[in-house]
Amino acid sequence: MKMLIEMMPERAGHLELTGLPECERQTLPGVISQRACMLYGARWMIAAIRDVVHLIHGPVGCAYYSETVRKKNYRVFSTALGEKEIVFGAGQKLEDAIREAVSLRPRSSAVLVYTTCAVGLIGEDVEAICKQASASLGLPVVPVNCPGFGGVSQGKGHDVAAAALLEHFIGRGPAGPPLENSVNILGEFDVQGDLKEIEHLLQRLGLNIICAVSGRATVENMARAHRARLNIVHCGRTGRWLAQKMEERFGIPWRKVSFFGLAETAAALQAIAAFFNRPGEAAWVEKEAEAARQRALPYLRRLAGRRVALFFGASRMGSMARAFGELGMEVVLCGSQFGCQEDYTESRRCLGRGTPMIDDAHQRELEEFLHRYRPDLLVGGTRERFMAHKMGIPFLVFPQETSPYAGFNGFVNMAREVAALVGAPVWRLGNSGFSRKEGEEMVAKYVRYMERGINENERSSL
Amino acid sequence: MQLKEIPVTGIPYDQIKIEKVPAAPEYCERPAELIPSANRAVVINPNRTCMPLGAMWAVLGVRKAIPFVQGAQGCTTYVRYTFCRIFKEPAVIATASFHEDAAVFGGRRNLVEGIRNLVVRYWPELVGVVTTCSSEIIGDDMVSFIKMARANLRKEIGPEKADQIPIVLVNTPSFAGSHVEGYDRASRAFVETLATTKGEPNGKVNIIPGLFYPGDIREIKHLLRHMGVEAIVLFDISDTLDAPLEPPTSVPYYPPGGTAVGEIRDMANSLATFALQPHAGQAGARYLERKYGVRAVVGPPPVGVQGTDAFLKALREITGKPIPESLLQERGRLVDSLADTLHHTMMKKVAVMGDPDIVLGVTRFVLEMGMEPVALAGGTASKTFVHDVEAILAEAGYEGEPPLIINGGDLFEFEEYLKKQPRLDLIIGNSRAVDISRELQVPLVRVGFPIYDRFGYQKRPIVGYRGGEMLLAEIVNSMLDYQYPDDRTQQL
Repeated sequence: MKMLIEMMPERAGHLELTGLPECERQTLPGVISQRACMLYGARWMIAAIRDVVHLIHGPVGCAYYSETVRKKNYRVFSTALGEKEIVFGAGQKLEDAIREAVSLRPRSSAVLVYTTCAVGLIGEDVEAICKQASASLGLPVVPVNCPGFGGVSQGKGHDVAAAALLEHFIGRGPAGPPLENSVNILGEFDVQGDLKEIEHLLQRLGLNIICAVSGRATVENMARAHRARLNIVHCGRTGRWLAQKMEERFGIPWRKVSFFGLAETAAALQAIAAFFNRPGEAAWVEKEAEAARQRALPYLRRLAGRRVALFFGASRMGSMARAFGELGMEVVLCGSQFGCQEDYTESRRCLGRGTPMIDDAHQRELEEFLHRYRPDLLVGGTRERFMAHKMGIPFLVFPQETSPYAGFNGFVNMAREVAALVGAPVWRLGNSGFSRKEGEEMVAKYVRYMERGINENERSSL
Repeated sequence: MQLKEIPVTGIPYDQIKIEKVPAAPEYCERPAELIPSANRAVVINPNRTCMPLGAMWAVLGVRKAIPFVQGAQGCTTYVRYTFCRIFKEPAVIATASFHEDAAVFGGRRNLVEGIRNLVVRYWPELVGVVTTCSSEIIGDDMVSFIKMARANLRKEIGPEKADQIPIVLVNTPSFAGSHVEGYDRASRAFVETLATTKGEPNGKVNIIPGLFYPGDIREIKHLLRHMGVEAIVLFDISDTLDAPLEPPTSVPYYPPGGTAVGEIRDMANSLATFALQPHAGQAGARYLERKYGVRAVVGPPPVGVQGTDAFLKALREITGKPIPESLLQERGRLVDSLADTLHHTMMKKVAVMGDPDIVLGVTRFVLEMGMEPVALAGGTASKTFVHDVEAILAEAGYEGEPPLIINGGDLFEFEEYLKKQPRLDLIIGNSRAVDISRELQVPLVRVGFPIYDRFGYQKRPIVGYRGGEMLLAEIVNSMLDYQYPDDRTQQL
């Protein structure tokens, strides 16, 4: 077990073959951590909300990086703090920035003010400034308190952002009876059209989406979110907490489902149909799943028995492990940057005993795993991608880059792309087969020839 | 300038910038007084990032060196993302992982344990400690922390091994400047820490390239090779951030290349130091000049005919070596290309944005093409930028409408200004200008940091005569693609 890869003693418990790895601990200093900070988590969670001003209160770098979330660029406002504000206080600048941002974007419905390490450390009362600005501008000015050093990973940023949404936006509209046939989706970010696939499936069940947090969230539709009949939790890490709170506050029941993979998608749709008490309407589900399987068949043949290592942000581990199982691939490692106990429990259920699970793996551990076991595919984020490529190992970015993976069609997309990736010629070209030594001797011979000529025998061998 | 909604699928304006498309009902006119960035507190889409990135860039150019970032995890992760996207390379950067306890008690434990963990896991040949706003605001005494880390390391792995790994400290409080200054500070920190003794003259020249890409550094080396000049390139990312795919035989993986520590030590003995980007690298060159009398040649960036001429002339003067026929031919080919494409480039209205040195280099080059600059936006505020731009315009004898010069500022100002212009043919700048270019429906030629939305620019030079030809071709072809979108017969 310990021999799988070399682990530092402090990290030993984070790799488990049968049980659950230790998790939600601080990262060891000095490693090449794959984790990010609280601001990153908060942006990940709510960057896609359209009709609000996103204002980063901190030095310019935090704003610069915050513009890009899941490979999309967003307009970001910032206070770009300089030395003067760090020393003498940044409150005035924040007040001015909020006012100016709103006058430059007058149709905004709210302002989200993200805090950063620098602001956390100089101890600015951002909440009071936001309250004041809110009163004078007449629209919500919401602090999202996410200094980078808070928590142990970006996970806490997700929580803080979700709390801000719940506190200031969700269910703020007029009370009313539940809207028939309506649902919210929590923890769905609409990567490459995933949400459209899901919506399409829900529409066939006769359901409407009021609000998807945060792939399709606006101030307006979040205000109506309390009138949904059901909350569908897609990403557990970002959605579960919100669902629990909405159940407490508005009495909306929730279901944790996954739309990745055929079996999961079918089960999700059936569970939702059962909730709305019309099992008859889900009759097509099995048929659709089977049709998708047929379409994916040519790819599945190419993937049978291939070995895949998974390394995600947090909670897709279990459902994706199942989806890769449906592709006929063997999951040889499953890990996450900041998964919690529940995430690992769920994935252990999916994986069974014997598959190593790793928590907060840093670059060196992943590298060593790839080097020793050479899986046929690594699935992870951009930071792991180029390391895998350097080792000549195919890599799939998830959240994906090219087409939707959710739903039945998404599964076919995924099968096709994974098959193309794994079978691509480039991975066979990595090893040239040339001997360095041979080449060097050749060059030396040539240099000798150039310098003083060589005999006929030698020349013919060149 | 007429603005239209763009029917390009996959560009999510409708989701993210509803207010910018005038065709949409949501569009509104901005209050004019809030357009210049000097008039407002809020910064919108800055064209610069924070200091640590520049320092990390620099450290990655040293052989088997790993940056160690004394800050929260995001300070590392975001930069690794950025480098991964630009270079398509694994960017190995260690983090001190500041959490709440570090924010309260300081980062001593993080540094001392972190350096130890990094060394025993990776065995780097150098560690570059990069500070962040957190550690600077907390007031971490980095010099004594590094001494403690060194003592701890000696205890753990033995003094011989421990003392072989230099630890270079680069102070980069993010709020005090941009990535350009981060690189500048790193250039000084490295020579100050490592080049500590003057020895025998080595007959070489030092090159501090600044934030140029691997392709540019290769082109500089090409010029040096043809001049027959040996050089020490400080922060040589040409191999470390553009490495071949050859499955390694052991872990941890290190890319080939990079400036060796021994070479940096030797920099005090060189003939001169060329800081090719005055804003990124000058500090190191000036330090060597003051301390060891190594002459500093600061700029101009070797972009275009005159930029490259200036570089080669200075090389000739310092080394006494003539400019060889081969390079004169390259020069001639570039000038020939300028003549051959002049009817496409002359009188074209161009806007340039990016880091100040890139803007200066490119502006000089576009003036050589007979283009007319409309707006020149340097993302990092600089004391010399406005003066330098004016000098370049005067040198070229430019008599058109004076361009808007943005010194620092942000892209919102740049964009709003361009929207008001009667005509614009081209934007030259980094990937951050892509939205502006799409909305104004003018082509974007990508140069400088960062380029994350296209492949290959990090490998293709813009410096030197051959780089000039490539950039010229890119400029001409981009404009033609836009002018004749359904072009089947057009001939140059």
